[in-house]
Amino acid sequence: MNTHTRSPLRQIMLYSVTGISLAIWVFPILWGLLTSFKTERDVLAYPPKFIFTPTLDNYHEVIFGASSILPNLLSSIVVATGATLLTMLFAIPAAYALARLRCPIKKTSGFYVLATQMLPPVGLIIPYYLILQKIGGLDSYSGLIIIYLTFSLPFAIWLMVSYFEDIPLEMEEAALLDRAGRLGALWHVILPQARGGIAVTTIFVFLNAWNEFLFAVVLGGNQVRTVTVAMFNFISVEQTQWARLAAGAMLAMAPVIIIGIFAQRHIVKGLTIGAVKGGGRR
Amino acid sequence: MTSTSANVCLEKVSKSYGKTVVLHEVNLTIKAGEFFVMLGPSGSGKSTTLRILAGLEEVSSGRVFMDEVDVTSKEPGERDVAMVFQSYALYPHMTVAQNIGFPLKMVKKSKAEIAQKVKEAAEKVEISHLLQRTPGQLSGGQQQRVALARAIIRQPKLFLLDEPLSNLDAKLRLDMRLELHKLQKSLDTTTVYVTHDQEEAMTLADRIAIFMDGKIVQIGTPREIFVTPATAAVAGFIGTPPMNLLPGNWSGTSVNVNGCHMQVSDETNKSCPVILGVRPNDISIVQDGIPVMVERVEDLGDSTITSFRDAQGTLIKMKKESESTVNEGESVTLGFNPKDAHLFDASSGNRI
Repeated sequence: MNTHTRSPLRQIMLYSVTGISLAIWVFPILWGLLTSFKTERDVLAYPPKFIFTPTLDNYHEVIFGASSILPNLLSSIVVATGATLLTMLFAIPAAYALARLRCPIKKTSGFYVLATQMLPPVGLIIPYYLILQKIGGLDSYSGLIIIYLTFSLPFAIWLMVSYFEDIPLEMEEAALLDRAGRLGALWHVILPQARGGIAVTTIFVFLNAWNEFLFAVVLGGNQVRTVTVAMFNFISVEQTQWARLAAGAMLAMAPVIIIGIFAQRHIVKGLTIGAVKGGGRR
Repeated sequence: MTSTSANVCLEKVSKSYGKTVVLHEVNLTIKAGEFFVMLGPSGSGKSTTLRILAGLEEVSSGRVFMDEVDVTSKEPGERDVAMVFQSYALYPHMTVAQNIGFPLKMVKKSKAEIAQKVKEAAEKVEISHLLQRTPGQLSGGQQQRVALARAIIRQPKLFLLDEPLSNLDAKLRLDMRLELHKLQKSLDTTTVYVTHDQEEAMTLADRIAIFMDGKIVQIGTPREIFVTPATAAVAGFIGTPPMNLLPGNWSGTSVNVNGCHMQVSDETNKSCPVILGVRPNDISIVQDGIPVMVERVEDLGDSTITSFRDAQGTLIKMKKESESTVNEGESVTLGFNPKDAHLFDASSGNRI
């Protein structure tokens, strides 16, 4: 008997667990999607309506209407892209240097880098507000991007150090002997192999910046209002516009999903590129 | 054939990591075109020396010369050396052709020239049919050939090979050993080869340097090292199985081992403690000699290795091409021809 054959009961259990997990994960998104096509009356109907006449009014309103979130989407794109690009620009060389550094401060520096992630963001709001106020950075793209960098940069460095450490030192040494130089070795040999890690980190940093709300609502303003803050405007004391909020959320999710699908190919490729047999680290 | 190979000289080279000294004032001269093997047990400093030659490690003191030019502070890329790593260090995201052509791409050679040279290098190591594959799709032996092709493509002055055969299976290792030797002779490039496998060293080398505890203890041709090992440690490292080393006391023309007076060809007028060395091939079962008990008989087909244990618990090995005439557990006495005895100073271990 083939010992690798799974019993039917085991198969059923596996599919059930997968199905339940998937349902739990998909339900809020599906519910949001359905809500975005409902009228406000249908949204509030009790018991909830699963069969209803779909409408695109909510999307029309959040795109072209008085409460259009398009300018806010643009703000989010500028802030998230700016923060991501700057983070990666500094994090890649920093992580590479930390991964290759042979000195005692390496271990402690790793801890301090991570320690910045342990601070509760809410505790930093006031100092950040005061600093930005002093330098005239409130309600500006540069101000918000700099604040995002303080969180994303340590996180990105910490995440990427392990990817760089996993690349055998010998490959880099081989490139140096092949007259690539330090930068050439990084560009031609190290970065292509770390691209899975770089892709993963880029996505995490972008997602964090895209979904960030607390700093954006306090440090932003009329000039820089990201989509997360704009959606908050659909909730007011008088009423909550659930259908428009859902339509806005679906629109806000779109770029992230597109980037995820695009980057997934690179992530999988990066992770499955396969190490050379017999390779090892010194 | 015009030789582009370099002679290499290490002058009092030392290397320390913090307080740990891994190389003690190593002096070494390697002639142009020579196949030079650095042999020694793990941690003896041979790989560190190779990496110093490559420029991958900085020296703590001393100087490195190539063709009489001081290269001590030169970067690896400025030394015109190529290296084959133990793990081959192939770039997994590049095809075999891109891997081989990489050194030429880095010095901005034209695509046509790179393609031509890649083809030639691949033909030399017989991997022309693998050029479009990636390293992950190759066997260990094929990867090794790719690494060799990448090393030979730009005709460096010095080849450095760091245990390149250690990841291959036994049969492939024998085949590759032969090919490596052929390749080195055809290229006529100075080659420095690091290994801990003494059989590999003996078969490949023009000359061998034996490393132990961060020092070179002997440099010589394979035969010189085998026939006249400089220390007891070298004697105990070279040969399969290595030399038997028996503590004893030397006076006159005999060495007293466990109360048995064994004749040697050298003579002394005083009594001194020594280590008596005898190669396993030179040991025989005799009527009157060192009493031992047969512990194990290993029949290798073409030869037999018999292990004995003497009264002091020292293991003695005998290698004969004939079938064994003794059985495990049997008591016999061992002897040797006096001219086959090697004597080493008991305290320093140096050859007498």
